[in-house]
Amino acid sequence: MIVPFYHVLILAGLLFLMGISCMVVRRSLIMILLGVEIMLNAASIILVGASLLWQNLDGQAIVMFIFAIAATEVSVGLALIVWAYRRTGSVDPGDFNILK
Amino acid sequence: MITNWLPEPSLSAAILATFLPFVAFLLIMVFTRRYPRLSAGLSIGAVSISLISAIFLLARHWHPQTPLEYTGQWLISGDINIPYGYLLDQVSLLMLTVVAGISFLVQVYSLGYMSGDTGFSRYYAFMSLFAWAMMNLTLSPTMLQLYVFWELVGLSSYLLIGFWYEKFSASEAGKKAFVMTRFGDIALFLGILLVLVHLGNLNILELNSPRVSSQMSAARITAAALLIFGGIIGKSAQFPLLTWLPDAMEGPTPVSALLHSATMVAAGVFLFARLFPFFSLSATAMTIFLAIGTISMLLASTMAMVSRDIKQVWAYSTISQLGFMIMGLAAGSYFAGVFHLTTHAGFKALLFLCSGVFIHAYESNDVFEISRQGGRRLKIPTVCVVIAAAALAGLPPLSGFFSKELILGALAELKNPVWLAAGLLGAFLTAYYAFRLIFIILFPRESSSEPDANHAQDHVHGGYWQMAWPLMVLATVTVLLGFFQGALEDFFKESLSAQAAHGGHPAWLPFVAFSCAACGVLLAWVEFGRRSADRVGFVEKIAPLNNLFAERWYIDHFYRRFLDIFIYGMVSNMLTQNDKKIIDGGIDGLSKATVETGRFVSFLNNGMVQYRLLTIFVVMVLLGIYFFF
Repeated sequence: MIVPFYHVLILAGLLFLMGISCMVVRRSLIMILLGVEIMLNAASIILVGASLLWQNLDGQAIVMFIFAIAATEVSVGLALIVWAYRRTGSVDPGDFNILK
Repeated sequence: MITNWLPEPSLSAAILATFLPFVAFLLIMVFTRRYPRLSAGLSIGAVSISLISAIFLLARHWHPQTPLEYTGQWLISGDINIPYGYLLDQVSLLMLTVVAGISFLVQVYSLGYMSGDTGFSRYYAFMSLFAWAMMNLTLSPTMLQLYVFWELVGLSSYLLIGFWYEKFSASEAGKKAFVMTRFGDIALFLGILLVLVHLGNLNILELNSPRVSSQMSAARITAAALLIFGGIIGKSAQFPLLTWLPDAMEGPTPVSALLHSATMVAAGVFLFARLFPFFSLSATAMTIFLAIGTISMLLASTMAMVSRDIKQVWAYSTISQLGFMIMGLAAGSYFAGVFHLTTHAGFKALLFLCSGVFIHAYESNDVFEISRQGGRRLKIPTVCVVIAAAALAGLPPLSGFFSKELILGALAELKNPVWLAAGLLGAFLTAYYAFRLIFIILFPRESSSEPDANHAQDHVHGGYWQMAWPLMVLATVTVLLGFFQGALEDFFKESLSAQAAHGGHPAWLPFVAFSCAACGVLLAWVEFGRRSADRVGFVEKIAPLNNLFAERWYIDHFYRRFLDIFIYGMVSNMLTQNDKKIIDGGIDGLSKATVETGRFVSFLNNGMVQYRLLTIFVVMVLLGIYFFF
């Protein structure tokens, strides 16, 4: 492995933080969903890196699962966002306050 | 012992006598409140069985023996063993009979007096409770049991004085009676505790045995005696706490009759008699009792001299007669005090019941008003009230004469002649105020019109005879009881032998006593009775004196001011401030802090998904730091 493992960790950590900040700061459901995806990918990167480090395929297998789950999650999430947009006319999570 | 009580007739009679009124009380309160006649029947039935049992007990134990004591366990906890039982000796049996007899007569009388009242059942329930508490008090073998029933007597008198609670003055009077007697009861309770701490036992027989003086120092005995006497002061309305009794007449008149003769106020004197050997261990305490009895007697007599309210006059006379009994007991004559207690119960009940008939007929408490409307046309009550007043004044053939003369005899034996002089002065004043009232009623100034009287007869004809025959019974008792002095003295011989034998009081005494009473009657006649009298007493002519007496020597004013300035102004105010500032402030601050914290936290919970995510993230990071580093 030519890339040192801690570089992978730093990259994944940065990606995760970006995902978090995107998710917390942006006032749009779509951007929040995006943030979640980025965070998932950060986790995937660590898993891939770790499987290369320890020469173990389990990590890469889990990443395959994460891809599948991310794909479904995005489709379900987008469907929910579309429904929410139809219902309230906005994609701002602050407007979804019927239960308040 | 309780388990095999059946073969013991005395015990079963005592249980029967003291338990049935309570059963009646419960039955009336729970089941028969809607049926007034049934309630009255239950109550009267219970009290008449009590009366029969009491007479049976008295007859069975007529020949003095050692006191009988039956106790069972009431409560056992570790070393603490609290017995419950019955103590049958001379004074308790005599008192039991008096209580049962007066309760029975008063309840029968109330059939007429209270008929049509909306609280008829409730009235009888409380009457039963009252009788039950008082009868148990008389038979209590320990101070603790006595104290329990002592308080129950206080409670039921509170309920009965404030019986017409919708009337403001009545509920106030009930409250006053309760609070004032409570005041004395605190002292009594402390006294009982003092005895318990030093003796380890509250049994009355042991308290009365001479061994006590070896177990407690003289100073402690005096302190305990004074504290217990505090309870007597409250209950019997003696000097510092005497103002509740005149107000207590706000209750129905039969209640006053019961309260003033046999139950409530008699409990105080009864306690004195009960613990007489214990009290007589301390000469200092006895002297103080004597002084308090004398002060109360004279104060109350002077108050009675100016009152226009028929019940109030008798109320003051009760205080004064109770003071007289305490004087007799404190002078060392056990029998004189108890005998006067018994005779007083008879004639005072009679006085109140007669007044009740007048009040019922003319709906006024004012003597002059009753007189104007022709009170003397009600023959039976008039004759009875004259008999009772003569007994109260201590005129010879009646019971009051014998018992008063005994007390005066005891006072004459004291070294200091002041007490005897005070006693004679009291006898004079008593005769004066009793006959002042009698002459006002007997000789109405402007003769009333006939229809008025007929109207009155109509008014009372319902229940008149129910009210009249208890009067006649009591009048007979009042006339005859004095002649049983010798028999009763024999009855008490056992307990008398413990004390120094008395007797041999000076031969001139009965004559002096009689002439004092006669002077009082004569003065009343001159001022109120004769045709040309101006019907103004010599006291009423002196304005300041009149005010002083009519305002009850300003004792009530003093209490009022004391309450306003000290209790309400300082203590109560301070406590209110404490309540408002510290306790309320603390609670308010606490709740305000909670609300504020909640408001701050709720900012995280206002439905914003992103804040939650942030929170989750922060928490996860913190948890990670905590677990991994």
